[in-house]
Amino acid sequence: MTKLISRRNVLRSTTLGGAAALPLPFLDCFLDNSGKALAATGAALPHCFGTWWQGLGLTPGRWIPDKAGKDYENKAELKMFDRYKHRINIISGTKYFLDGRPLETHTTGWQIASQGGIPTGVNSGPSLDSTIADTIGKNTRFRSLEISLDGSRASYSKRAGSASNPSEPSPLGLYTRIFGPGFKDPNAADFTPDPAVVLRRSVLSYVTDERKSMMSQLGATDKARLDQYFSGLRQIEQQLDIELQKPAPLAACTVPGKVDETKTGREVGEVVASNKLMSKLVAQALACGQTRVFNVVIGANGLRQPGSQQNWHMLTHEEPVDDRLGFQKETTWFIEWANQQFVDFIGQLDAMKEGDGSVLDRVVMLWQTDHGYARTHTMDALPILTVGNAGGRLRTGLHVPANGDPATRVGLTIQQAMGVSLKNWGLLSNETSKTVTEILA
Amino acid sequence: MSLSRTLSVFLGCTALMACAPAAKQTATAPAVAKAPAQTAAFTPGEMVMRRLSGEQYQNIVADVFGPSIELGGRFEPDLRVGGLLAVGAGTVSITAVGMEQFDAMARNIATQVVSDKNRALMIPCKPADVKAADDACVGIFMTRVGELLYRRPLTEAELKSYIGVAHLAADATKDFYAGLSTSLAAMLSSPKFLFRQELVTANTDGTYSLDAYSKASQLSFFLWNSIPDLPLLAAARKGELGTRAGVAKQVDRMMASPRLEHGVRAFFTDNFGFDEFNGLTKDAVLFPKFSAQAANDAQEQTLRTIVDLLLKNRGDYRDIFTTKKTFLTQELGAIYQVPVVDESPNGAPDAWLPFEFAKDDPRGGILTQMSFTSLHSPPGRGSPTLRGKALREVLLCQKVPAPPAAVKFDIVQDTNNPVYKTARDRLNAHASNPVCAGCHKIIDPLGLALENFDGAGAFRTTEQGVKIDTSGALDGVKFTGAAELGKAVHDNPATTACLVNRLTSYAVGREVKDTAWLEALKTSFAATGYRLPDLMHAIATSDAFFTVAAPKTQTASAQ
Amino acid sequence: MAVGQISKSLFQRQFLTVLGGAAVAAATFSVPAQAADSRNFVVGWFTHATDSKDGDCPGGVNPDITIQYMKNLALLGYTPAQIEAMAKKELDGGDEIAEAMRLRGRVDGKPIEPFTYPETAIDPKLVSGIGKTGYGFDLDGKDGPNGYEDPLTHQKGVDNEMFRALGCMRTFRGSLQGRPTYWAWAWGQLLDSQPAWLVNVTGEDLTKDGEVTVTFDRALTHLRVNADGNPREDSTYRADPDPRSHNVYKGVLKNGEITIKDAGQFRMLQNPLVAPELNLSRAQLRLTLKKDGTLSAFVGGYQPWRDVYLSFAGPGPAYEACVTGDIPGIYYLLKRHADGDPDPKTGQNATISTTYYMEAVRAFVVPAALQIKPAGN
Repeated sequence: MTKLISRRNVLRSTTLGGAAALPLPFLDCFLDNSGKALAATGAALPHCFGTWWQGLGLTPGRWIPDKAGKDYENKAELKMFDRYKHRINIISGTKYFLDGRPLETHTTGWQIASQGGIPTGVNSGPSLDSTIADTIGKNTRFRSLEISLDGSRASYSKRAGSASNPSEPSPLGLYTRIFGPGFKDPNAADFTPDPAVVLRRSVLSYVTDERKSMMSQLGATDKARLDQYFSGLRQIEQQLDIELQKPAPLAACTVPGKVDETKTGREVGEVVASNKLMSKLVAQALACGQTRVFNVVIGANGLRQPGSQQNWHMLTHEEPVDDRLGFQKETTWFIEWANQQFVDFIGQLDAMKEGDGSVLDRVVMLWQTDHGYARTHTMDALPILTVGNAGGRLRTGLHVPANGDPATRVGLTIQQAMGVSLKNWGLLSNETSKTVTEILA
Repeated sequence: MSLSRTLSVFLGCTALMACAPAAKQTATAPAVAKAPAQTAAFTPGEMVMRRLSGEQYQNIVADVFGPSIELGGRFEPDLRVGGLLAVGAGTVSITAVGMEQFDAMARNIATQVVSDKNRALMIPCKPADVKAADDACVGIFMTRVGELLYRRPLTEAELKSYIGVAHLAADATKDFYAGLSTSLAAMLSSPKFLFRQELVTANTDGTYSLDAYSKASQLSFFLWNSIPDLPLLAAARKGELGTRAGVAKQVDRMMASPRLEHGVRAFFTDNFGFDEFNGLTKDAVLFPKFSAQAANDAQEQTLRTIVDLLLKNRGDYRDIFTTKKTFLTQELGAIYQVPVVDESPNGAPDAWLPFEFAKDDPRGGILTQMSFTSLHSPPGRGSPTLRGKALREVLLCQKVPAPPAAVKFDIVQDTNNPVYKTARDRLNAHASNPVCAGCHKIIDPLGLALENFDGAGAFRTTEQGVKIDTSGALDGVKFTGAAELGKAVHDNPATTACLVNRLTSYAVGREVKDTAWLEALKTSFAATGYRLPDLMHAIATSDAFFTVAAPKTQTASAQ
Repeated sequence: MAVGQISKSLFQRQFLTVLGGAAVAAATFSVPAQAADSRNFVVGWFTHATDSKDGDCPGGVNPDITIQYMKNLALLGYTPAQIEAMAKKELDGGDEIAEAMRLRGRVDGKPIEPFTYPETAIDPKLVSGIGKTGYGFDLDGKDGPNGYEDPLTHQKGVDNEMFRALGCMRTFRGSLQGRPTYWAWAWGQLLDSQPAWLVNVTGEDLTKDGEVTVTFDRALTHLRVNADGNPREDSTYRADPDPRSHNVYKGVLKNGEITIKDAGQFRMLQNPLVAPELNLSRAQLRLTLKKDGTLSAFVGGYQPWRDVYLSFAGPGPAYEACVTGDIPGIYYLLKRHADGDPDPKTGQNATISTTYYMEAVRAFVVPAALQIKPAGN
């Protein structure tokens, strides 16, 4: 009962200044009757969202699994995901629609992937990560973190009508941002409930009588139906009550040692080194509740092998298709290498243990690209991957062919899974209200 | 505090006040034949409490606050009962997930209504101090909006409660509009808004009649798929819906409104199961022309065909199965393999254009439209069985039993079968199993007549190089091909009886078992030459439409 | 002809030249008497006809742009040590080489951009093809030393100097199946926005040999494609009444193949993003009506080579690095290989022989003559 009393005090002191006497019914939500959701610590750890932007597509014939649904087999360019197969989804065959507008290569695709359409003016955006951050990232220190692995400030994260949120290219810079002087140990910090949540909770109590008055006019069957409505409402109350409590201690949060200054750049070795450091920092930032949304740009334009002037992007255009292999040999080396970087990134999230599981258990990451096949800049047969289920919000382990549907279907699905209230997403032909139901839990 | 005139006009106009445009439409509106469908002895059904459908919610928000308001949320799936989601609405509740969405949408909508941009238009008064509560102004707004959202005047207790919420929230936030928004959001997530509850008054014969406001809702949701407008609420308030003449006057007015099209579209969308398009997929290798746009256009094509024939031209309902007139987009033109000359500029969205198939063309009638042939086909092939079953169940209201357990479908599904090249061959081989033969005999011949349309709705004359045989029979009437099948369905008495049944069940939200009422409606439907508007009029003016059996528990009028 | 009748004919899978606003109310256009059998197509793939093979470039193909840039630096007088230093910086994110290449033209010793003024750049002397086979036509009636043998028709003396000029540039190499990267890129760029090209073939009976009329037009709207990006069959297009893209030829159909000799001019407007127009003189065409209902076509002739150059040079240095390769180098290649229309004074040829290849799928087409509204409306 002590909890309840203290919460009453919070309600009075923070929002209402004692001005209104609130009828606060006994809150049965404090009883842990729903098992895991209200574990000993009080609440499940929050779900998180990340993007992985990797340009230049994949190679036709080298990635779409022959089989749909479960038990598919990964082809060469996705083979490295085998270890995480049960935790990822492959969505194949979607499309970016141009609606008669000219294709700006390596730009239009990103716009549709991130914002759901080609911006109709300067007032563009927001990108889907911003929408998600507005939903789940309001109360964290960083609404979102943007990082790039190629030393650039490139980013596809954008708030409505503004420039993009620039990426942090340096591991040391990222470390300082998260764990530098501004860092507060989440487990030591004071807790002040969000006044808006306090108000919502109060209102729910306030209107209960008005709503319940309907009950008296109903037969038994309809009463039972209305009961279900009220239990739905109670669940919202419970969620609010959880938000009004001091969040669960983040047991896995440890402040890492300072990282060294490193050289960043477009050489593959530099990208690997940045990825190693920054993926770990992101995992720690999530474990310490510093953010719930992160965006990673691996960079594609200019990534190259040591000593070689030829970069990945150039190869996609210039390298001939190897007659015997049937594909561009060096280009596919880069594709497989980049996908391996992604596997390593999620590996770091998985290595960050929390209780019985890992940080990855409460994350969904979305892998998207700008063209289906970079050699010819196709806007169809796009590969999209999702990784993780964000605490059970997605079903995983599936290959879903979504032939010819707008790629925005996946963006819509992920936004909904992350709790964004929206029915449809995208512009013109890229607009859709059709989620990938197969992967929605 | 000052009343804002602009505001009330806007709320009034969007909120279904009889504004100038509505009056104009009267001229072009279908003339309604007054066919009496009253019958002395009918058996009233039970009261129903219906959850608003997603489309109704959307319509209501647009009607009350204008079309610029974004919902910012989604709806949980509906349930089909007796072939209709409208009947399922009387059995579903709101789950926790659905509640979360309703809660989010309510707050989202309320925020937009009180936003700087909209408040001057939508709130008919201004607070004395924007940083403080103003119960009087809230009272004016909530009284007005409450009557629309609750489809009846608020009780004093209800109004007090909403003024209280606004006061509490305005105090907490030091912001009048935040307070108002909080109160409006609370109303939008109230079960009194989200469920349509019927309130009744006792009749002398032991039956119960819907009270005046429930009658108004019964009419408006049936005819418009939305809430009553202000004149209809006024009629309820003045007791005008207590007489047949008073109801008829309102029904005439409502049927002359362009909103009638919303109601007609809503019914057919529900009856044809178009919600199933959301889960429809096609194998892109086999059906490269199938696309998300094509799937959307297919539904719209059928609805446009129906609205044009039955509403705009007051045609015979049965002609929807034979009409050669339809509307197409470029996207559909490629699928039906006909030219669609769209004069829109390069890159513009496809336009809808009228199209007419030749008299002897097998294409024509809604059975041959993609919305039927592709919807009732599995991803990789066409299916005479699924199409036949849908025809029986959806359009003739005949129940087809489910297949027995443990039946092997290998042959049926093997579209590359070297021996059984056409679907007919494969089904014959399959139905040689006597367990299956009984059912297939009544469903397959109908579907086989549509074999000229592949699994995505495209026209074809051969399968694996073999000419397709499209002959069959429906209840003894022999036919060859889709056009003659359409004619057979057109002439089948079950076709019109089924529509009467479905439309009536749709209107009252329960499966109507009252044969006396249905028979009367069927007679009047036939007498008017099977005009849909006349049937709607007959239903809407029936006593039975507003009458229910004794409720199982205590009832009382909300007032 | 009533709308209904049109539908009926279409049902019989005739592809009419004329269809009367089947959707646009009840227009009543009539089918010309000669149009006994008429088929319409929309072009779903367009490329320069290349037939690259191993060993068809002396000493191998031209180097990729990064190596070529170092060679160009040397031509500009940079020492090997300087070049090495610049390359090293480039690896660390510097852009000295790119900068030097952006301004590698020289006028009075001062740097100038060489894309608009290619002759200000030093000729890097890129190599050109020495292969023996190439697609096209014998345009000049002579089987000279530069004549190719067409791999399909085995015609000798084929003139396709554009193929020879560009045949050792990496992104221009390819075959009919292995699409050259440049052309695939250009196609992808234009596919969803550039008005489509239309082909009509009309004759007494296209299943039999005989005389036919072949018409090329530009549509008012872009190509419609399927989910997989392949051109969609049975879509409807309106031909643009603009006479600049209207080409009518008489040809002979034999064994499913249509030959058009002495076609004169072939001119189609394009999207300026790649090339403003395709303009061939002394054109010859060969079209194949395929069993699957599609059509393929070779169109050859002499093309002003400066137009060709500008279509590559227009986008400038960014595309040089990723799409075309050394642009002033291409200028010199085209200039060297130009083989038609010599200038009476200088003797420099103004055009280059070339052949393009296209594939088309069946479509419905409203001919330009029946357009009620002018283009752009």
